[in-house]
Amino acid sequence: MTPVLRVQNLSRSFAVSRAGSGRRELKAVDAVSFDVGEAETLGIVGESGCGKTTVARMILKLLPSSAGRIELGGRDITHLDEAAMRPLRRAMHAVFQDPLSSLNPRLKVRDIVAEPLRSQGTDRRAVGARVREMLEVVGLAAEAGERFPHAFSGGQRQRIAIARALAARPRFVVCDEATSALDVSVQAQILNLLADLQRRFGLSLLFISHNLGAIRHLSHRVAVMYLGRVVEIGPEADIFDRPAHPYTAALLAAVPQPVIDQPAAAPLAGEIPNAFDRPDGCHFHPRCPKAQARCRVEDPRLEARRDGHLVRCHFPQ
Amino acid sequence: MTVTPALLDIRDLSVAFRTEAGPREVLSKVSFTVGRGEILGIVGESGSGKSVTALAVMRLLGSAGTITGGSVGLDGADLVSLSEREMLEIRGRKIGMIFQEPMTSLNPLLTVGFQVAEVLRRHLGLAARAARERASALLDRVGIPAAAARYDDYPHQLSGGMRQRVVIAMAIACGPRLLIADEPTTALDVTIQAQILALIRELRDSEASVMLITHDMGVIARMADRVVVMYAGKVVECAPLADLFTAPLHPYTRLLLAAVPPVRAKAERLPVIPGTMPSPGAMPAGCRFHTRCPAALPACRERSPALEAVSPTRLSRCLRTPEFLAGSRGAAA
Amino acid sequence: MSIEIGRDPPALAALSGLAAFRSRFLAQRNAVIGSVIVAIVVAVAIMAPLLAPHPYADTDLFNTWNPPSPENWLGTDKLGRDILSRLIIGARTSLLVAGAVLAITLVVGVIAGMMAGYVGGRTDAALMRVVDLTLAFPEVVVAILIAAMLGPGVTTVIVTLALVWWPGIARLTRSLVLVLREEPFIDAAIVSATPVPVILWRHILPNILAPLLVRASVGVGFIIMAEATLSFLGLGVQEPLPSWGGMIRDGLPALRSDPYLALFASVALGITIIGLNLLGDGLRDMLDPKLRGR
Repeated sequence: MTPVLRVQNLSRSFAVSRAGSGRRELKAVDAVSFDVGEAETLGIVGESGCGKTTVARMILKLLPSSAGRIELGGRDITHLDEAAMRPLRRAMHAVFQDPLSSLNPRLKVRDIVAEPLRSQGTDRRAVGARVREMLEVVGLAAEAGERFPHAFSGGQRQRIAIARALAARPRFVVCDEATSALDVSVQAQILNLLADLQRRFGLSLLFISHNLGAIRHLSHRVAVMYLGRVVEIGPEADIFDRPAHPYTAALLAAVPQPVIDQPAAAPLAGEIPNAFDRPDGCHFHPRCPKAQARCRVEDPRLEARRDGHLVRCHFPQ
Repeated sequence: MTVTPALLDIRDLSVAFRTEAGPREVLSKVSFTVGRGEILGIVGESGSGKSVTALAVMRLLGSAGTITGGSVGLDGADLVSLSEREMLEIRGRKIGMIFQEPMTSLNPLLTVGFQVAEVLRRHLGLAARAARERASALLDRVGIPAAAARYDDYPHQLSGGMRQRVVIAMAIACGPRLLIADEPTTALDVTIQAQILALIRELRDSEASVMLITHDMGVIARMADRVVVMYAGKVVECAPLADLFTAPLHPYTRLLLAAVPPVRAKAERLPVIPGTMPSPGAMPAGCRFHTRCPAALPACRERSPALEAVSPTRLSRCLRTPEFLAGSRGAAA
Repeated sequence: MSIEIGRDPPALAALSGLAAFRSRFLAQRNAVIGSVIVAIVVAVAIMAPLLAPHPYADTDLFNTWNPPSPENWLGTDKLGRDILSRLIIGARTSLLVAGAVLAITLVVGVIAGMMAGYVGGRTDAALMRVVDLTLAFPEVVVAILIAAMLGPGVTTVIVTLALVWWPGIARLTRSLVLVLREEPFIDAAIVSATPVPVILWRHILPNILAPLLVRASVGVGFIIMAEATLSFLGLGVQEPLPSWGGMIRDGLPALRSDPYLALFASVALGITIIGLNLLGDGLRDMLDPKLRGR
C-alpha cells in the first residue's frame, strides 16, 4: 500500500563560514526518513533545534531540501518547481502555530477559506458552497464568512485555518504546533476537532508538537527527533509506554503531569547542543545517563527493535 | 490558610483597565495569601487575570491599569498605598520577579554579569568589586557552569535556559523572601523546563516563598504546595495541592484538569468546556462561569456566589459546593 | 477577546473596520487639523479658475508692488499681477505636479519594491544598485540634466522628481515586504498554490498600504518643496504660469521694500507643507499600536 507521504533521507544542510573555523557544514536536518499512511497520524516530537519544523517546511515545499526524497501519494515531488507543484498541492495543506498571523487580516474569512479552491481554478458557485460547508464542519456559523479574523478568538481562528486547510479536500495535512498557542480548554476543543475530521475525511496528518500529551492524543505513530535526526520511531503505545531511547525516556520524565504522584526524577542535565557543534559519536551522549565508551566514538544507526519500532541507540532499553 | 502570619496577604484586590470603550474591570476582589516557605501556584487561562495580579502586586500595571480597591500586605505594609519611590525599594529587594521571556527581560547590550551586579549595587549599595564577586557567586548558585567566565557574556550568547537562570539570579540577588514567577518556563524546552523548575524548588527550600503563575496544570502538580484557580478576574477555588487534584470542588477546576491530554494513557475524547472565557466588558450576570458550566442551575444566573471556606484550608466559589461535598465526588457533568 | 499584558494588537489589524478607523482618526488632533488644511488647499486648487479674482497673467505696469488693498487683497507683484490670484493658480500647479509625481513614483516604486522584496535574488540586487545610484545624484543636478534635454517646464519637473523619488518608495516597500514575507499567512498562500502575482496583489499589497500611505502624505510635502525649489531655480514652471517657488524667487530681491510677494508665497507653501506633515504624523500615530492610548 503506497503511503500518502514518504520521506527518505531528507536533509537540509548549509555550508557556513565561521570566524576561526573556516567552512563548516550545518545540518539542520540529517537524513530523516518516515512514512505516513492512509488515515494515519504521525506525531513528531522534539525540542529546539531538532529540525521538526524544518522537515515540515521541506515537505510543504516552502524550503528547498539539500538531499533526499519526498513522495506525495507515490509521486516524487522533491525537485518539482511551483508550476509543476500547483495541481499536486490540492492533496496537501497545513495548519500553522499562530492563529492570528496565519490569516491575512485584510481578507474576509470566506476569502481566506476559499483560497485553495480559487487557486485550483474551482468555479465560483462550487467555491461558495464548499466554503459554507467547511465553516459548518469546523463548528463556525455560516455568517462567520463575512467577518474579518480579528473579530474571532484564538480557537475560532484556528478553526478557520483548519477550514482553509481542508477546503480542497487534501489527503495530507501538516499541523505545525497547531495547538501550542491555545489555552488548555481551547486546545482540547481543537484536538477533538482534528481527531473527528481525521476520522470523517480519512486524513493523513503530520502532527508536530512539543506537547507530548497532544501528540499522544492524536498520533497513531510517533517519531522523536533530536538535533536533526530521528532517534526513535514507532507506534504510539510503544513510544510512550516502552520508550527505548534514553532521550525519549528523559523527555517523558520531564513533562510535568497534572497528577500528584509523580516520581521526582532528576532532570536531564546539560543544554541542547548547538547544531554547529554536534558531539562526536552519538549526538546525545553528553547528556545521556546511559552513555558508555562506545557512545562517545561511534554514531549509532536507526535500527529495528520490534516490528515498526526503530531506535538509534547502542544500548536501547 | 496558613497558621503563621502570611508573607503576602492580598485582600479584595480589584484592577481596572482603560480601554477605548471605557474602564473595564479585569480583577474583581481577589484575595489570597502566600505563606512563608511555600510555593503558591496560581493557575488560569488567558483572561483569567493571573498575570494582572502579579503586576498589580508589583505596581507595574503601567498607564493603562489602575488598582481600584483592596490591599496587598507585605510584612505589615500595604503595597497599594506606597509611593513609587517606596516601591522602587521593594522591587528587586523584597520581591523578586521572573517573567516569561528571558530574552526581553535582559538588556541585550549589557553583559549578564553586569546586570546581576547592577541589582546589588543599586539595592545593597555594594562597591564594584564586591558586586562583581557576589554576582559571580549568584550565577554559580543558579547553576550556570563556569560562572566566572560567563560573567562577561552577553544575553544572546546564552541559551534560553541559561538566560532564565540569569534572570533568576537577578531576582534572588538581594535575598528577597518572595519571588513572583510568571510563566517562568513556558518559553523553554521541556527538558530545560524541568531544570528550571527544579531550581525554583531549591530556592523555595532554602530561601524564599514563591508565587508561581502558570496555565499548565502539570507544572502546578509538580511545584505547588497550595493552589489558587482563577477565572474571569476572580478566584474560584483555593486548596492544598493534593486536595485540588484528588477532589476538585469547582466545576471549572474539574474541567480544566480533565481537558489536559494525558501522557500516561491515550484518552478517548477530551472533555470540552464550550464557549470562551468572557471578556471584561461582557461578564454574564450571576456566576461568571455559569454560561459554560455543565452543572449550572437557574440560581447560578441570579446570584453571584461568594468565595466560601468549606474547610480551614479550602475555598470555593460555587453555589453547589455544599451539594458536591455532601454527595459523592462526581458532579453532574 | 482577552486582555493580555504586554501584547499589543498587531499593527496589521489596525485599519480593519471603518468605524474604528474613523473614531481613532477623529481622536488624533494632528490628523484632523492636517486633513482640514490639506482639504482646503485641494479645494482651492480644484476650483482655482473660479476663485481667482483676477486673471493671473494680466499685467498692470502702473500698479506694481502694491501692498494689500481692497482691489488686490494680497497686493501685486513686479508686473502688477494680482498676488492672490497667482497664489490660487499656483496651488493648482503645485498640487498637479505633486499628484503626478506621486502617482508615478507609487506605481513604479511599489511594483519594483514588491518584486525585489518578495522574489529577492538578482532582482533585489539590481534594485538596490539603482537605489544607491539615485542617492548619489542630488535632484538639482538631475533637473539640470533633464532640463538640458527637454527644456525647462512642468514636464521637466515631473520627470526629474519621479526619477529621483521612486527608488525611495521602492526601498521602503521592499523592507516592508521583507518582513511581511515571513508571516505564516504567506506560507499558507503558497501552500494553497496561489501564484506569486496573486500573492503580491491579494496578500502583500493590502498589508503594506498603511505605512506607504503615511510615507506618501509626508512625501507630498517634500515633493511640493522640491518643485518650488526647481521653479525657484528657473528649471521648473515657466512664466507666466505662476508657481509658489517662482513667486518666492521673484519676491526675494524686493524683500526689504515690498515683502508681500515673497511673504505670502512662503506662507502658502509653509501652511500646505505643515498640513501634509500633520496629516502624515496623525496617520502614523494612529497606525502605531504602541502610541495608542497616550
